Amino acid sequence: MSNGIIITPGLADGALKRPVRSADVQQQAQAFQSERRAARIRSLVAVALMGLAFMTIAAQLVRLAMQGQTEQRISISAPLATAFARPDIIDRQGRLMASDIVMHSLVADPHVVLDQKEIADKLATVLPDLSKTRVLNAIADKTKRFAWIRRRLSDAEAQRVHDLGLPGLDFRPELRRSYPLGRSAGHILGSVNIDNKGLQGIERYLDERQSVEPVHGPSLSARPPLRLSLDVAVQFAVEEELAEAMRRYSAAAAVGLVMDVNTGEIIAAASLPGLDPIITDEHFDKSRIDRLAGGTYELGSVLKTFTAALAFEGGINQATRLDVRQPLEVEGYRIRDLHPAGRPLTVAEIFLQSSNVGAGMLALQVGGQRQQAFLEKLGLTTPLATEAGTVAPANLPGSWGDIETVTISYGHGLAVAPLQFASASAAMINGGYRVKPTFLRKTGRTAKPTERVIASETSHFIRQLMRENVASTRGTGWRADVAGLNVGGKTGTAEMPGIGGYNAKSVIASFLGAFPMDKPRYLTLVCLFEPKGTKETDGKITAGRNAAPTTRRIISRVSPLLGFLPD
Amino acid sequence: MRILLTLAVAMTLLSAYTLYSVNYETRVLTDQVRGREKAIKAARRDIAILKTDRAHLARPDRIARHARDLGLGPAKRGQFDTYRSSNRLGRAMTVRSGDEE
Repeated sequence: MSNGIIITPGLADGALKRPVRSADVQQQAQAFQSERRAARIRSLVAVALMGLAFMTIAAQLVRLAMQGQTEQRISISAPLATAFARPDIIDRQGRLMASDIVMHSLVADPHVVLDQKEIADKLATVLPDLSKTRVLNAIADKTKRFAWIRRRLSDAEAQRVHDLGLPGLDFRPELRRSYPLGRSAGHILGSVNIDNKGLQGIERYLDERQSVEPVHGPSLSARPPLRLSLDVAVQFAVEEELAEAMRRYSAAAAVGLVMDVNTGEIIAAASLPGLDPIITDEHFDKSRIDRLAGGTYELGSVLKTFTAALAFEGGINQATRLDVRQPLEVEGYRIRDLHPAGRPLTVAEIFLQSSNVGAGMLALQVGGQRQQAFLEKLGLTTPLATEAGTVAPANLPGSWGDIETVTISYGHGLAVAPLQFASASAAMINGGYRVKPTFLRKTGRTAKPTERVIASETSHFIRQLMRENVASTRGTGWRADVAGLNVGGKTGTAEMPGIGGYNAKSVIASFLGAFPMDKPRYLTLVCLFEPKGTKETDGKITAGRNAAPTTRRIISRVSPLLGFLPD
Repeated sequence: MRILLTLAVAMTLLSAYTLYSVNYETRVLTDQVRGREKAIKAARRDIAILKTDRAHLARPDRIARHARDLGLGPAKRGQFDTYRSSNRLGRAMTVRSGDEE
């Protein structure tokens, strides 16, 4: 610092550089100091910014970790449901009755199609039932970018189309409802439309109780299956025996039912001619209507079961004999028996010999109002619905006078759906409790009926009558007896109304059965529509000749499946 | 300060590397999950078809046909015996086997 000369630091070997003045040095030192301060501030700012950035990243990581999201989705518009994923339908034993499967549909992009005729011609070689005109129409408009060619091809068909290698064609996977049992229980299961939405039967019930998920694309439902009360094996046996009965007795149609009298669970329900759930045309075929629940019929003498119960409940002594030798004249009408007894009959004998005159006299003794109230209490005349749909409402007489009271006592003048009749009959057999028919499996406390509609003594009396009607050759139903199974029942042959009155040659032959009668568990109902006389029936068309033996064949087949073996 | 800067740079590099690794692993895992979801969907579709096929093959009318071919039918009364008579039969067999001895 002496002599105003400063030696710049860092110069080697004491070499002198240019002399510097003291003022300059101070200025430079100050500038250096301020520059150093500025640099430090910049560094701090940079460090602070970096720290802030790290903190932001850390905060973002923590936020993402807390939210548990691994994927951010951007949705421009909500996807529209293109189909409905439906849960499986299974029977009471867990056997599959309906399920969704994924199938390929053939679509076209008309804009990309090079040769329309080539596509129509070549598709016809692998899909022979596909109309060429329809294909040409579908792909005619080149401005379109999408056209359906054929919905839901089988895998083999899709492979054959794929192998053609035609430009402009593509496949789109779609859900399709599959019914592996074919026509079996077709009326009960119902049907779905092309988009897998339920239209009828149990399929519609699934939609109504919101078990069906709207989906975009072919996604299978993850919901638990719907367990029905039906038993596939029993259902098949009933259907097969009804089909055999239709063939054997040349009947136009037949219905059959097996019901648990204690729970109302329907184990089997068939109406023939049946229908295939996937063949849409059959659903509009009048000959295939569900006669079990969709039609009402005068069922004839099977309703005498109710008349006998009404008489018992009405206090008519079992030992009382009614003179049924002469026709019964009511309001100008003459009611007569097909085979007059020729002597006075007790209530039991009226039931066993199926006397119309006797039934009419019993009903008149109790009175029309009590009869009407009794049938209503049983649920025969009130609206009824099951999971498979609404049951056709009973056709009631306009006025309920004496003649109506008499005709209804033997099953005419009141038309009911066979299913409604069967559920009302359950109370006659189960000890007197009203049950609601159901196609769903019931378990636990909900399975037990609680509404008593007749006394247990009345039910016991009816059970005795039904058993005697089958066990004794005096009864009309002895052809329904199955050795060792203690079957009971009641026949009914009802003339069908036609032009100008009832047609004696056109009847509905019915048999209401139950087993085992010492402690009834199951009820059966068989109705044959317009059966013809055969050599086997000696030309007769009465229920004892056709519906009763059909019931015998059904019970002998289904009883082992239901856990009842012959004693 | 220099140490701080050096540490900050080092942390930056380390963080960048870590983030890159996490990101990469996430993508790989996401792809794997997507692949497995696709495989599950395909498997569920196959199971649905197999279930339907099985139910179709096991339908009662088909089984009944085979059963009839084998001479089988519904159980009949004569095929069952009471406990008492089977007990009697058992005793008779015991006596007979005793005689043989």
